[in-house]
Amino acid sequence: MRSYIIKRLLAAIPVLLGVTLLTFLISHAIPGDPAALIVGPKASKEAVEAIRIEHGLDKPLPIQYLRYMNGLLHGDMGQSIRNHRPVLRDLADFFPATLELTLASLFLCLAVGIPLGILAAVYRNRLADHITRIISVIGVSTPVFWLGLMLLLLLYRNLGWLPGSGRLDITSTAPPGITGLYTLDALLAGDLGLFWEALRHLILPAFCLSYVYLAVMTRIVRSSMIAALGQDYIITARAHGLSAGRIIFKHAFKNSLIPTITIAGLSFGELLGGAILTETIFSWPGMGKYVVDSITTLDFPAIMGFTLVASTAYVGINLCVDILYALLNPRIRY
Amino acid sequence: MRFRTMLGLMMVALLWVNMVQAASTDTLVVGVTSDMHTMDPGVSSDNIDWRQIYPCYDRLVKYKVENGLGSTEVEPMVAESWTVSDNGLEWIFTIRQGISFGDGSPLTAEAVRYSLDRTLAIGKGPADNIGAIETMEVVDDYTLKITLKNPYGPFLQTLATNGAAIINPKVAAQEVDGDKAQKYLAEHADGSGPFTLVEWTRGQRCVLEAKANYWGAKPALKKVIIRFMTEGADRRMALEQGDVDIAEYILIDQIPALEKNPDIVVHRFPSQMVEYVYVNCQDPKLSNPQVRQALSYAVDYQGIIDHVLQGSGVQMRGPIPDGMWGHRPDVFQYTRDVAKAKELLKAAGAENLELTLIYSERRSTWEQIALVMQANLADIGIKLNLELLANPTLRDRLDKGDFELCLGAWSPDFADPYMFMNFWFDSANAGLPGNRSFYKNDQVDDLVRKAAVLSDVEERKALYSQAQDIIMEDAPYIFLYQIETIVPMRAAVQGYVFNPMLESMYNFETIWKK
Repeated sequence: MRSYIIKRLLAAIPVLLGVTLLTFLISHAIPGDPAALIVGPKASKEAVEAIRIEHGLDKPLPIQYLRYMNGLLHGDMGQSIRNHRPVLRDLADFFPATLELTLASLFLCLAVGIPLGILAAVYRNRLADHITRIISVIGVSTPVFWLGLMLLLLLYRNLGWLPGSGRLDITSTAPPGITGLYTLDALLAGDLGLFWEALRHLILPAFCLSYVYLAVMTRIVRSSMIAALGQDYIITARAHGLSAGRIIFKHAFKNSLIPTITIAGLSFGELLGGAILTETIFSWPGMGKYVVDSITTLDFPAIMGFTLVASTAYVGINLCVDILYALLNPRIRY
Repeated sequence: MRFRTMLGLMMVALLWVNMVQAASTDTLVVGVTSDMHTMDPGVSSDNIDWRQIYPCYDRLVKYKVENGLGSTEVEPMVAESWTVSDNGLEWIFTIRQGISFGDGSPLTAEAVRYSLDRTLAIGKGPADNIGAIETMEVVDDYTLKITLKNPYGPFLQTLATNGAAIINPKVAAQEVDGDKAQKYLAEHADGSGPFTLVEWTRGQRCVLEAKANYWGAKPALKKVIIRFMTEGADRRMALEQGDVDIAEYILIDQIPALEKNPDIVVHRFPSQMVEYVYVNCQDPKLSNPQVRQALSYAVDYQGIIDHVLQGSGVQMRGPIPDGMWGHRPDVFQYTRDVAKAKELLKAAGAENLELTLIYSERRSTWEQIALVMQANLADIGIKLNLELLANPTLRDRLDKGDFELCLGAWSPDFADPYMFMNFWFDSANAGLPGNRSFYKNDQVDDLVRKAAVLSDVEERKALYSQAQDIIMEDAPYIFLYQIETIVPMRAAVQGYVFNPMLESMYNFETIWKK
């Protein structure tokens, strides 16, 4: 197992190198002059030229790439072109917001999706199954931006039950940044009021974001549970007179977990890349919005930084999923 | 049972309606579209940044307020008075005494010199506005002599721009690798203005706090929170709920609903922001002025204003917008005349023309305007192809002159017709800097260049006026409309002054809440 993990980690290096090279080439292939974007719309040619030199944009592409990689190996992701800040600091500001939202969505997705899927499988083709099917179909077919707006309209503007957009109320100050996850930081600071506020702000965006994944999760759990419940060992268990709960949870569910974990892992990776629509509607200061702003301003260092973080997360999550496989099913060995 | 009780308790807690506490009367919340990029006045060319920077600094002069309305004329601020030599080259400013920066150090002539010199040395966008300065000399603690490279009509106006902010020279101590303290000032404010920056949480909000010892009139607001809210519908809901006091850029079709709400007042002001079409004069298809005139005759200006803008704009008359001196209400204006346009095309031998209009998604109305223009030009027998581009790509092609027609927007940085006449028509500014139609007319070059170096307003007006007649004849742009700025706010917000020179910016120092 240990050698497998080490092998996988080593294999990640060329993957990430490839990612940097590809992103670098693609982002530089987009026509547009970042120097002109930095100086502003009415700047003179001389000002544009000066910026090009200042940011090393006048150098040939291979040199620019090598310079970037050299910085990266020294822990420097470069400076953002549009706000002149180290990209690492920007990522440190925006990544925790995405992580918090992702964890909350994933939690909702698993906490609701798995029971619904089991219910649908156990009561296959009966009312419970039909209801979960309707919920799933609505989930995969509802546009996120519409759902988000409707949730805000109903629960914030009309009923006033939940707060509006953002991570905290407008007049509240963020807790001291330890992890960057406001709920956790508020708890660490011992401020229960703020914790509650941050949690309430998480509900709508997390629900909105998890809804699509929830639908997929429910369907996957249902079908793998149905497959598991049809196995011979379940019939044997039934014949032995085991209770229905024991059969479903201990025997069938555990064996249907592999596809579930695959989907959960993929969703987690995808969510970590930031969900631009949800983040936009709820003014959630996460990675999705950050990278879109970076792309529209051709902010190469920021685009590169984001891609690196997102792909590292993907590689890491995939590795974790593979390890979980082995833990769940002793027949899988690496 | 215990589980159910817990669940019940959680539900109650969830629905516990502790809605956001409405901000008190000494706190103003503004809901804006996007986060700022920098706090450095020497670097930013963007009103989104100026909104926060401007109230943190003072400048030599400021825009006058007349009858509660912002004007494009300037009056003394940090400069108590000034004199200018007859040749327009030497300006002597007397600095007001008793002004101090946040750390208590006094604002002197040296601080003004340091600040302007810093902006010039950094050499980014703001430096272009004050680029006429050749040398500066501190005569004594409160007297500064500025010598210009050449007489420059708009000079005084440029001193009211954000880039002319007066910075505490002590920031020099924060310099890293000779960066003129750019790293430090990107995230901090160190000026003598009525407010100072106390918090900037990226992507979420920034907080300005009123200074207790401001030398001018004490602001009624103690705190201003600028909340970054990307989605227009979100800003609208927050305004209706009273969570924000002012909400920017609400889509036009949602304005009527807000106007019906008694708690909300929707202000409308004529702005200096104009939208127009660059016609590439160097393109062989468009080099004949008759063809360009035909294009100008083909467009249904009023239709665009009535239906796309829902009435929130007026057709441009000449290149200088209404409200700016030099605007000529009698200059020739194109109106839709299909027969005339066809005639012109025929005379030019340019029938069956096919053109391409490029535009970006920068403004939500552009897609519709492009479609209207496509239909309008079809009426005169021109096939118009539409090409939607990402903004950086569009700007790249624009700069290279690689386009036929392109939709654009422009707003002046300082209150002088120079911002239109010299930027748009001087052939030396061809491309992105301003002359985006690559227009070249020696006579116009001559007139606008002469007008730029004079300081007498009447003389300058006469030269610009002459140039305008030639320009309207040459039709290098299709002059569409001047936009109306719409600012919805809670009825409790009082004292807001709109200044067309300070679009998306607010006079926090004189706003108060009921």
